[in-house]
Amino acid sequence: MSKFDHLRGVPGSRNRLAAQVWEGAKVGAPAAEIPELDEVGVPVELRATIEHHMSLYPDYRSAALPALRAAQHLHGWLSDEAILQVAAVMRVTPAYLESVASFYDMLELEPVGRHAIYVCTNLSCQLRGAHDVVEAFSGATGAPVNGSSADGQFYLRSFECLGACDTAPMASIEGHYRGPLTKEDATTVADHLRAGGAPDEVLPEKRFVGDYGRRIDE
Amino acid sequence: MSDRGILFTHIDEPGLQRLDVYERLGGYRGLRKALTAMSQDEVLKELEASGLRGRGGAGFSMGKKASFLPHGGIEKYLCCNADESEPGTFKDRELMHKHPHQLVEGVLIGAFAAGASHAFIYIRGEYEEEANILDAAVSEAYERGYAGENILGSGFSCSLVVHRGAGAYICGEETALLDSLEGKRGNPRLKPPFPANQGLYNGPTLINNVETLSNTPHIIVNGADWFRSFGTEKSPGTKIVSVSGNVKRPGNYEIELGIPARDIIYGLAGGPHPGRRVKAWFPGGSSSPVLTEEHLDLPFDFESMQQAGSMLGTASIIVVDENVPIVEVALRLAEFYRHESCGKCVPCREGTNWTVKMLERIDAGDATPMDLDVMASVQANIIGNCLCVLGDSMAMPVGSMIKRFRPEFEAHMERARIAAGALTEELHVPLPSEVA
Amino acid sequence: MSDNWITFTVDGREVRAPADELLLDAVKRGDVEVPFFCYEPKLGAPVGACRMCLVEIEGIPKLQTSCSTPVKDGMVVYTQTNRVKEAQNAVVEFLLVNHPLDCPVCDKGGECPLQDISFGWGPGRSRFHDQKRNFPKPIALSPLVAIDRERCILCYRCVRFSQEVAEDYQLAFLERADHTFVGTFDGRPYIAPFAGNIIELCPVGALTSTSYRFRARPWDIVDAGSICTLCPSQCNISFTIRDERVERVLARDNEAVDDGWLCDKGRWGYQAVNSGDRVVAPLVRDGGRLRPATWERALDAAVNGLRTAGAASAAVVGGQTTNEEGYLVQRIFREALGSHNVDSRTGGPLDKHTARLLSHPGLAAAVPDIDSAKCVLVLETDPINEAPIIDLRLRKAVRRFGCRLVVAASGPTALDAGAAERITFAPGTGEAFMRALQKALLKVDAPGDVRHEQPDADPAEGDADEAGVIGGQAQLAAFLAEHSLERLAEIAEVEVDDLEEAAALLTAAENVVVIWGERLGHGEGGATALGALGDLALVLGLDAGEGSGLIEIPTATNGRGLREAGCTPGLGPGLTDIEGPPGMTAAEARDAAGGDVKAYYLLHSDPIRELPEGERWDEALGAASFVVAHEQFLGASAERHADVVFPAESYAEKEGTVTHPDGRLQRVRPAIGHPGEVRAEWQVLIDLGIRLGLALEHHVSAGAVLAELAERSPLHRGVTLDEIGGRGVRWQERDQSRSAAKDVLGPLLFSDPAEPRTVPRPSDGELRLQTRPDLWTSRELEHAPSLDFLRPRQELVLHPADAERLGLARGDLVRISSNGNAIEAEVAPRASVKEGTGHLIEGTAEQNANALSNGLPPVVKVTKAGTER
Repeated sequence: MSKFDHLRGVPGSRNRLAAQVWEGAKVGAPAAEIPELDEVGVPVELRATIEHHMSLYPDYRSAALPALRAAQHLHGWLSDEAILQVAAVMRVTPAYLESVASFYDMLELEPVGRHAIYVCTNLSCQLRGAHDVVEAFSGATGAPVNGSSADGQFYLRSFECLGACDTAPMASIEGHYRGPLTKEDATTVADHLRAGGAPDEVLPEKRFVGDYGRRIDE
Repeated sequence: MSDRGILFTHIDEPGLQRLDVYERLGGYRGLRKALTAMSQDEVLKELEASGLRGRGGAGFSMGKKASFLPHGGIEKYLCCNADESEPGTFKDRELMHKHPHQLVEGVLIGAFAAGASHAFIYIRGEYEEEANILDAAVSEAYERGYAGENILGSGFSCSLVVHRGAGAYICGEETALLDSLEGKRGNPRLKPPFPANQGLYNGPTLINNVETLSNTPHIIVNGADWFRSFGTEKSPGTKIVSVSGNVKRPGNYEIELGIPARDIIYGLAGGPHPGRRVKAWFPGGSSSPVLTEEHLDLPFDFESMQQAGSMLGTASIIVVDENVPIVEVALRLAEFYRHESCGKCVPCREGTNWTVKMLERIDAGDATPMDLDVMASVQANIIGNCLCVLGDSMAMPVGSMIKRFRPEFEAHMERARIAAGALTEELHVPLPSEVA
Repeated sequence: MSDNWITFTVDGREVRAPADELLLDAVKRGDVEVPFFCYEPKLGAPVGACRMCLVEIEGIPKLQTSCSTPVKDGMVVYTQTNRVKEAQNAVVEFLLVNHPLDCPVCDKGGECPLQDISFGWGPGRSRFHDQKRNFPKPIALSPLVAIDRERCILCYRCVRFSQEVAEDYQLAFLERADHTFVGTFDGRPYIAPFAGNIIELCPVGALTSTSYRFRARPWDIVDAGSICTLCPSQCNISFTIRDERVERVLARDNEAVDDGWLCDKGRWGYQAVNSGDRVVAPLVRDGGRLRPATWERALDAAVNGLRTAGAASAAVVGGQTTNEEGYLVQRIFREALGSHNVDSRTGGPLDKHTARLLSHPGLAAAVPDIDSAKCVLVLETDPINEAPIIDLRLRKAVRRFGCRLVVAASGPTALDAGAAERITFAPGTGEAFMRALQKALLKVDAPGDVRHEQPDADPAEGDADEAGVIGGQAQLAAFLAEHSLERLAEIAEVEVDDLEEAAALLTAAENVVVIWGERLGHGEGGATALGALGDLALVLGLDAGEGSGLIEIPTATNGRGLREAGCTPGLGPGLTDIEGPPGMTAAEARDAAGGDVKAYYLLHSDPIRELPEGERWDEALGAASFVVAHEQFLGASAERHADVVFPAESYAEKEGTVTHPDGRLQRVRPAIGHPGEVRAEWQVLIDLGIRLGLALEHHVSAGAVLAELAERSPLHRGVTLDEIGGRGVRWQERDQSRSAAKDVLGPLLFSDPAEPRTVPRPSDGELRLQTRPDLWTSRELEHAPSLDFLRPRQELVLHPADAERLGLARGDLVRISSNGNAIEAEVAPRASVKEGTGHLIEGTAEQNANALSNGLPPVVKVTKAGTER
């Protein structure tokens, strides 16, 4: 096997979809039709958020992605329950939502750790040592690459190009971009988050927005 | 190389994200002029005359593209493609993060030119900070009456929505973006029909890149001739080049197209680290065929890059120095495209995963030179046969690497075979259940 | 298809084709075949996903997918160049990269497009030496369909079918890139009425039928085309026969009937044919039990029993009866027994005028007219349960052709989500609703609208009044003038705004098709309700244009055919007049048990189960002196009360014709021989008739019986089995039938309007009852093991507010009672139901809602089971 194992997605192994691939249909269970609102019990705020999004577009189905993101934010991941709740509000089948959700990288179909760290391992970052950085994060957080730590605190992903190649190697710490990172930075970030620190406050000196080259004398 | 810029002129102004600061620096004058002093046709003509070419990779004349939309009472749409996911490209991020109102104004001008009543900014989900900044900017624009109903009393109404993606490179392809915006899986569509006729919700749609639209306010305010004073005749205006990889000063640089590539890589970005040389460089993000040291003095523009056997694309330069094994680069790229393929068409879906499997075997010492021939043939079989350009985006760089660095591939293959020992009799290939 | 023909060149040959035809189809006209996988016009717009159909077009640098390129005048196309061949080889090689070499064990082998295309357009060898993608295989996708994901080439056909044709959206692609696979939400089984179609659509062996697994290879079998008689859709099918046994049913693609689709009931219902429970010998009741007997003995017993009862006999003719059988039984009753008591309908009496109006060619629409209709009104029917293929057709019209759908029914339908206007009227108020709609329509101004003129009317019959209406319509107008729109809307419990919306949609459309369910005519006032329907058709001007008209959804498969063959108490074959007063309907005959009716003839009917007020049927049949039945399986009626049972043929053995609801005569053809002692039923009826003294020829074929029917019935005048052939023929389109029918059917006239009935409102603890049919409750399906899992349990569907009011939660078991009868059901709240109404399924084996009464809306008491005594 190559050293790029951790960078590969493996069919069906990461998430709930694997069950139907390996075991087949739950024969005897009812077909998944559009759930009724009283069947699933949707939290009031989630329903309001989804309906707000639906009102922004000429076709309400465009709200699928924002709705799924909102449900993921509330539940931590897109569980059956989350998908059914969105389906009941949007009046669409859960299969449609699951099909959309499984297409995108940022929508999680299995439970993941609380703090999501996406380490970019695409070409520009790879050229500057992303492999070592992601291994360092794995050690510091206790999460395997593309997995979650046993204590449920961290979710570590090796991700594709995040659009911050000037600060290679870099990572997105819960949506906040930091780079260039060293192996020591991995420990700093893990400790900071573990101690309850706000994600936008970690490594403040490593914030650049495409202007690294224009601001650094090297 | 020039100090004159268009988009980055005020880029480091503190508070530029706020509407009042932007207005103080001359912001929204373009929108005001377009809506109150010009007709839709005049705006279209100005944009076409300026020669502004799409900055998202295709390089098609923006004004001409906008003029393809039919006139008349049907509902039309404008989509700003802010799904910047091309490896090595990070120009739109800086533009949106620091200069959001420039984009908002550009979107609205574009919408007016196209006759659109709904505008969407499709921003990739990973750009969470930038999406928040844009949300705030759009709110401010609505409050000031620059967006929404009857903008500036002109009778033109346009809604503006920031729509976040959720992590898919393919959604940067314009028709896949439309499908994703409609709430479906991001699969590209057949063209024809083109989005100008049948796009979002089957209505006429104009799709433009962030950088392209950010140029429009300046063109309207200063005129097409002023814009043409930058750059070359075939590629007027400026271009923001993202340089990354093995260079001392990776970052975004606003240049005029036509300057030698060396001036960008060595001049602006400082060149490779001391003692290293450029082995290969990508002129247009990872989807472009690689070029080598011998191409460094070529003019950096659409035509020259194409003549050299590559393409300008997003004009994002990735530099690979001699310490990096080329097989590693090829494998990393192939895996990227295999991961990002949408899976709709056969050559891309199967071709990408086949290429990855072959490159892995090469790296693991399980391949022979025949595999290189097969791989080259597979790339050729992908090119031109796919539904969209993603297949080509893998096949062209990988194909070019095999062509230009064949001896290195073969040497790597040999070393790996020796390291792995002789080919074992039983070929153990792990089953999915054994992996992860 | 355009009428404008152009010329283009393919491989050097000039070919003419309609402009804008897709290149892939156009090149066939030049004898050129282009391979493809994902292209399927029935599924909608082309996707261009498989890339197999790439061709070279002069002037375009890249190869283009011919499935999505419209042909233009002067186009020059090449399909045999090296470039094209390399591309084709490349695509086949790519397809086989992850496709397992399963051919020897794959059901699809021998009828597999991938095999054919690999052989014809592939490179011959694959250069792939790596690990293929693996999935566990095959796995159940549902009890009916097995999925083998390794074989799947991700051609999109099955998911497009689920999403865009059947619109159940249960099947979808999951994951991305080469990890993509076809699946459902949470591994739930794919259960939908049309799921089986994906088996036929799949171009490889990824989706296979669990019942046909390893049964036969294509070279072992023979095909036999026929008609599925399990529901009024009457889809064209093809039996797959191996060794004289039906192993499978496939669709036979008749665009005028079924568009190439089949529902799962039709696809697996054939298993009843092979069931060991079938009655395969005549039975005679001996010592209280039914015992096998010889044909002679059975026929003798039947003759004696019927002769004794004489004119005090009644025939109840069930849905799967063919035209020939129906025609013969009514001849027996009318001419040999002297009784007009023959009925094939589940509703009440039908007066002559209305029956003829509803069969009139002037008001008739054909199924393909749905495609081109600008507006369709679906009236008191839920096609997905009654004639599923019509549901698919309507969805196609809405999705692809921009048809505006107006759904007006007393309960929710599957079409509601796509309807432009959805009106729910109270159960039993269909007539009031139609009158209200007529009023709303006549108020709408349309300059130059010809609809307000009486068609075919004699101008001397009356002067035009101010609004330009003449003749019968003036009477209608006067009647409507006496009733305010608000009052009519109140009776029907609908909003005036909705009525006006619907009226606007109907008026704005150039052509309108009205799909009406026979249930509209159920219950008291059913006859006048159908009269109101006729008036509605005339007000809408359905007689005026091409492509407008009525299409009925009868409750029985051959409901229309039997009516037109003479199986109604008031009309003879071809809707001709009868001598003497009309006979009794089935319900009247039931009520006359022991008095004016002493013997019952049940031809493929089980009244206890299938007709309203089954308990009363039980009593009636018990009180009868003689009951004879034709049965495939012993239903409750036959089992408890029949004195003689003749074994019925299944539709796989039958020869005869049936009439599609839109008037298309179709041939049912025998595919296998008769099991056991079963004889052709038309022969049995002839035997019976002759023994009863009927002047009947001893016909030697069903065709001869048809010929006799054709002589007596103007609608069938001159039709032969050959003319009907494999595709059928609509009698309205035959000149002979039309001219012969003219005299019988007469002109189109408005009816005599009656006061629409009102229905009581429920009080506390009560609900108004509406029953609905369910696709999976037919008797045959109990003997089709594959479909066992689909049989529904009785459930009470009601509005969540009512559930709350009655203190019920989802899943509670409740007792529903009325008039001393009660059944139990599970509570299933649904927001799309009208408040105050509860819906039950009719025709179930247990807890049958017809105990409370089908289609009649009494008020019922609902209590939690076990809580009340």
